[in-house]
Amino acid sequence: MVRWSKVAPQLALIPAVLVTLTAFAGAVGWTIYLSFTNTKRFPDYALVGWKQYFRLFNDELWIRSIQNMVILGLGSLASIVLGFILAALIDKEVRGEGIFRTVFLYPLAVSLIVTGIVWRWLFNPSVGVENFFHSIGWNWLHFNWLASPGTVMNGIILASVWQSTGFFMALMLAGLKGINPEIWKAAKLDGVSFWRVYLEIIIPMMKLTFLTCVILLSIGVVKAYDIVVAMTNGGPGGSSFVPAYFAVNAYWQKENLGYASAAATIMLVITALLFAPFLLFVLFRRRNAT
Amino acid sequence: MNGSSIIGLPSVLSVGRTRRRRRIRPHQIAISIFLVMAALFFCVPIYVILVTSFKSMNEVRLGDIFALPQRWTFASWKYAWFAACSGMRCDGVSGGFFNSLFILLPSLVLSISLSMLTGYAMALWDVKWANGLLFVLFVCAVVPFQIIMYPLIKITGFFGIYGTTFGVAVVHAILALPILTLIFRNFFRSIPGELTAAAMIDSGSFWRIFFEIVLPMSGNILIVVLILQITSVWNDFIVGLTFGGHDAQPMTVILNNLALSDTGENNYSVDMAAALLTAAPPLIIYFVLGKFFVQGITAGALKG
Repeated sequence: MVRWSKVAPQLALIPAVLVTLTAFAGAVGWTIYLSFTNTKRFPDYALVGWKQYFRLFNDELWIRSIQNMVILGLGSLASIVLGFILAALIDKEVRGEGIFRTVFLYPLAVSLIVTGIVWRWLFNPSVGVENFFHSIGWNWLHFNWLASPGTVMNGIILASVWQSTGFFMALMLAGLKGINPEIWKAAKLDGVSFWRVYLEIIIPMMKLTFLTCVILLSIGVVKAYDIVVAMTNGGPGGSSFVPAYFAVNAYWQKENLGYASAAATIMLVITALLFAPFLLFVLFRRRNAT
Repeated sequence: MNGSSIIGLPSVLSVGRTRRRRRIRPHQIAISIFLVMAALFFCVPIYVILVTSFKSMNEVRLGDIFALPQRWTFASWKYAWFAACSGMRCDGVSGGFFNSLFILLPSLVLSISLSMLTGYAMALWDVKWANGLLFVLFVCAVVPFQIIMYPLIKITGFFGIYGTTFGVAVVHAILALPILTLIFRNFFRSIPGELTAAAMIDSGSFWRIFFEIVLPMSGNILIVVLILQITSVWNDFIVGLTFGGHDAQPMTVILNNLALSDTGENNYSVDMAAALLTAAPPLIIYFVLGKFFVQGITAGALKG
């Protein structure tokens, strides 16, 4: 009996262990190995060293992809800021709070493909928003962002912010709920202004929530793919490539598996660099807690 | 239900406070104006989809994107569901809808049963290497899809399920395993020890404790996980695109092809109707079960 109670849980964990070992650990190892080979369409397991990586970092399109990722990351910070502002505003008593909450959060249920298709249409110059503004005489307003390399990333950022702000608002609301309500009372008694309470007390208290948001955002940005496919398909002229798009494109369109693997490996490295501080922090806290 | 949060955040969105201030101050007006403008920003796309989907293409061409339809017509909806062309096939998004459904159902069963069992064994039983597995799962939860894409294509090909709805469902279950396990584990950790300790001395049976004690307590967390999983599988694009082959592509992939494929001038009212049909299932869940929905999304944060 006693022995069985030791064995049963271990048996129950076997499927999960198998999945992590093959589909995750093994698969990651396989891809990393392929990134050091000349594999085109069919595997070729002869090692060629860092060749694919040298090629990658001499490829303008890859450099553009990395730059776009950084631009997307910085631009998407707007969704954290907006998420915090909205959370702070609905957290205080506002009329119609429930309606606002519903409206700000519903984009979360909308897939990035649908988001992208809809925004691509809003950006359409002949029948979209720009046309509307021109028809009421605001000819100075240009909203045809997706057509030019200089503004295409702004368009993608706007659509991403639309989709993800609700998510960060939800995280921020959770953070705000954890703040002792006495603080507002005390601040009110002392006559400290609304803005100063937030800037000097609340935001510093919520730095953990902010950190979480930034890490989640950056990991999401490294993975960004759907929104680019739906809005621009990497265009115009490759100007909205991001790493995930680059890697998938290298595999399916260029049929260059070694190259795609190298790009995917760099994505993994970037994710690891972003995630490591968070992981260390969680482990540290867990150790301290027990 | 703190278990719904794996990164130490308390659960989100408790019911709002009911106390209201009577006097309206200037800064409250400013806040309201700001909130209304933000709400407009969030509402514009859904409004535009709705009105456009009820217009005829002639009316769309007039370019008055915000106007209500002069003549409401269901033609685009019908066309989008039955006849719109995606690549070579012209049977609308209905085929994709059923593919998505056939992907969704097995993936829910597989991912939830496996991750629940794993989370239970890790949280309540004394397995020495459970902490090691926990760490590995935590790392797996953020691995980019692209780095395991090719090996998974080969593995599903080896088992003969590549290009089938079942194959896509299996990949979804694999990808969801780390995060769902972490969610379940944290939830089971929050069960008071006294409840299980007595049962462990009594019978010590792994399965009996699971079915008689743990499962009946898991109603809420199951709803949260179910909603999270339904939303993410339904809204997924890349897994379906990669593993769906020719015949098993989910609705999002069909929609994307449809929006891209009508060469020349897009039939926007059809695109919008198709987009709304694709977005409808998760949106309905959101409007019906909002609170659980938000808990699920924030709990699954790392997956995003």
